[in-house]
Order: sequence, then structure tokens, then C-alpha cells
Amino acid sequence: MKVVLENISKAFGAKLLFEHINAELDTGRCLVVTGNNGSGKSTLLKIVAGLMKPSSGSIRFYSGNQANQQVLQGTVGMVSPEMAMYPALTGLENVLFWTKLRGLAITEAKASELCCYVGLSGNERCRVEHYSTGMKQRLKLAVLLALNPPVWLLDEPSANLDEHGKELIARLIDRALTAQAAVLLATNEAREVGYGSARIAL
Amino acid sequence: MAVPGLRFDQALQAILIKDLRCEFRSRYATGTLVMFALTTLASVSMATAGTGLTPEFAAALLWVVLFFCAMAGLARVFVQEQEIGTLLGLRLYASGQAVFCGKSLFNLLLLLGLAVLVVPLFVVFFNLEIGNWLLFSLTLVLGCIGMAVVATIMAVMVMAAQSKQAIFTVITFPILLPQFLSGVQAVSQVLAGNEPDGLVFMAGYDIAVIAAGLLLFDYLWND
Repeated sequence: MKVVLENISKAFGAKLLFEHINAELDTGRCLVVTGNNGSGKSTLLKIVAGLMKPSSGSIRFYSGNQANQQVLQGTVGMVSPEMAMYPALTGLENVLFWTKLRGLAITEAKASELCCYVGLSGNERCRVEHYSTGMKQRLKLAVLLALNPPVWLLDEPSANLDEHGKELIARLIDRALTAQAAVLLATNEAREVGYGSARIAL
Repeated sequence: MAVPGLRFDQALQAILIKDLRCEFRSRYATGTLVMFALTTLASVSMATAGTGLTPEFAAALLWVVLFFCAMAGLARVFVQEQEIGTLLGLRLYASGQAVFCGKSLFNLLLLLGLAVLVVPLFVVFFNLEIGNWLLFSLTLVLGCIGMAVVATIMAVMVMAAQSKQAIFTVITFPILLPQFLSGVQAVSQVLAGNEPDGLVFMAGYDIAVIAAGLLLFDYLWND
């Protein structure tokens, strides 16, 4: 799966956020987006995810030789501070819900294994309303792992995570790239910027 | 890597079960609907104590209770997703049509549950006799389908508005008016011991709003 950003611009009213963004996100590669707060990193990720329209320019998704103007449903997975899990459900129920919503059938044992992998061992059957902010972030990562999409959009993935959590992010990105996923990472963490093979500075 | 086909039935089932589970645990909408219904019924019952209600007045009263309960509770289906921050994920991972059908079914189950609670109380409080329960129930089910579907469509439209609740009621009522009036007429006919003649219209209205929802919801959902 390859994603090509062609001359992307975004403005909110008279305020121009960014313009003329041209980039390629290829399989097994990590493209890093950096920029100050309010520079439009999250907005760019939302545009790639199809959750927001660019003011101008286009995004093409290439699967084999086929090009699509719109995001292919089922190909993009996202972790973002703006995306939350259901507080009334348990961590396990959240993983099972989001995967079922996507048309994937994973077993409870597999979901539980993923929760353990991201460091939620022993808490996967607790309701998310009782989770700490860092645990909620880990749960989002478990959902992303369960969905295992070809395109990963990571918006400040290590936000609210401790040192072990930041190591987990490194392992996850490595795992995604090994599995030939394309990773678009919005961050200002020096360590994470190093994971990228290319960079967009906003 | 998984590139799943987004299966409509699985997504619909996931949304419905998730909403029922969350509602069972929080009881937010159920609490609002039940309290509103009980308060209204008790107030009107005390105000009209000893006065016999005409079938027309009783029918209008029943639909007013159901309509305003729907207005009080059903707008929350998307506002709640927005407030807890799950809307973005739902937009990313689910198709608009699956969301529309899942949320409409959830709203319908809430309304039917409310009707099951309200109708016996209504019959007891106002000392009514219902000759044909089958036709009476059919009228209520058809009316509830229309209300649930229209409420779901309107709820997604008002999601981004400032005064969500006020706008929701104001724009929903004119659209539901044909169904509301037909429901009042049909129930009053059943209460008077006659056969209702508006059921075909009510079923047609339901089909029309479901079709409109399936056609329009993707645009409302993605924009």
C-alpha cells in the first residue's frame, strides 16, 4: 500500500495551516511529520485518514497498480489523542468491538494477548473509565495491533506514556515496518523523529 | 496485515450490542425516558382525576408522551459519542449506513421498551379499554419505527450545533408530524372500538424515512 500526498493545503477560514505538501508514504517506510503546536500535524493525519477534506490537493492510495482518490475503507488505522475508547466497556470489550466493527473476527484470547503485549496485563477486564491516561493510550495501541492495518497513522503516540511505554512505541513501529506497513508518525519527540526515513516539517 | 471487507451486518451488530451494553451500564437514556414518561403520566392523571377521556384526547396524550420522551432521550446517540471522544474512531472504522442502522435499531428498542412500560400504566391511570390489542400494538410499533429513524437522522444533523436539544426538537417535529397525526388517529380509532385506517400510510412513512436515511446518512456522517 502506497499513499501519495499531492500538493495538499489546508486553511480554516482565513488562517492558512499549511500548503504545498507533497510526499510519498510507501510500504515498510516511516514518514515523520514534525512541527510546532498548532502547525497542523494532526490535521494532516486526519486528511490522510479521510476524516477531513484538504482545502486543495489530493491524496492517492495505491494498492498494486490501482490508484484510488479516496481512502480505502479498512486500510487505515489511527492512534490519536482525539480518539477515545468507550469508558463503559472493558479494555477487552473495546478491542473486540473495534475489530468487529472493521469486519475482523479475533478471539477473546487473542484480544487478551494483545492487551498483555501493550502492558495492560491484569487490567483488560476492567472498565476503561477506571484506566489511567497512560493505560488508555496503551489500549488504543492494542486496538491498532488487533486491526493490523496496512497504513498506520500515529499522532503523538507516546503522549502520556512512561519510559516503558515509549519503548513499546519503538517496538510497535519496528513491528509495523517489518510487516511492510506504511507508518505516518506525527511527533516532536527527538527519539521518534529518528524512526522516520523521510520527514515533513510543518 | 489485514485489509478486511467491511461487513455491514457485523458492523451493525457490533454497534447495536455496544450501545445496549453501554446503556445497560450507564442507564442514561433509559433513566431520562422513564422519568419523563412517569412524571408526565402522573401529572396528567392527577390533573384529570375522575374525568373520562375521549378516545381522541387519550390517543393524543399517549403520542405526546412517547414523542417528548423520544425528544428527551434519543438525541443523545451521537452527542454522547462526541462527548466521550469516540466519534472520530466510529467515523474512521465504520460505514455511515452501518452506523445509521445500528443507532436506529438501538433507538427503536429504547422506544419499544418505553412503550411496554407506558402503555399498561396509561391503561390503568386513565381507565381505558383496548378492544384490539394486536392493531393497537401494530400502530405503536409503526409509530416508534418512524420516530426512531427520524430521531437518528436528526441527531447526526444537530451534533455540531450549539443548542443541540432545542434544535433537535424544533426540526424533528415537522418531519414527524404526518406520522404523529396518523398515529393519533389510528390509536383513537382503536380506543373507540373501530379499525384504524391509517396503518398503510404509517408503514409507507416508515419505508420512506428508512430509504431516505440509507441514501442520505453517508453524506451527513462524512461531512
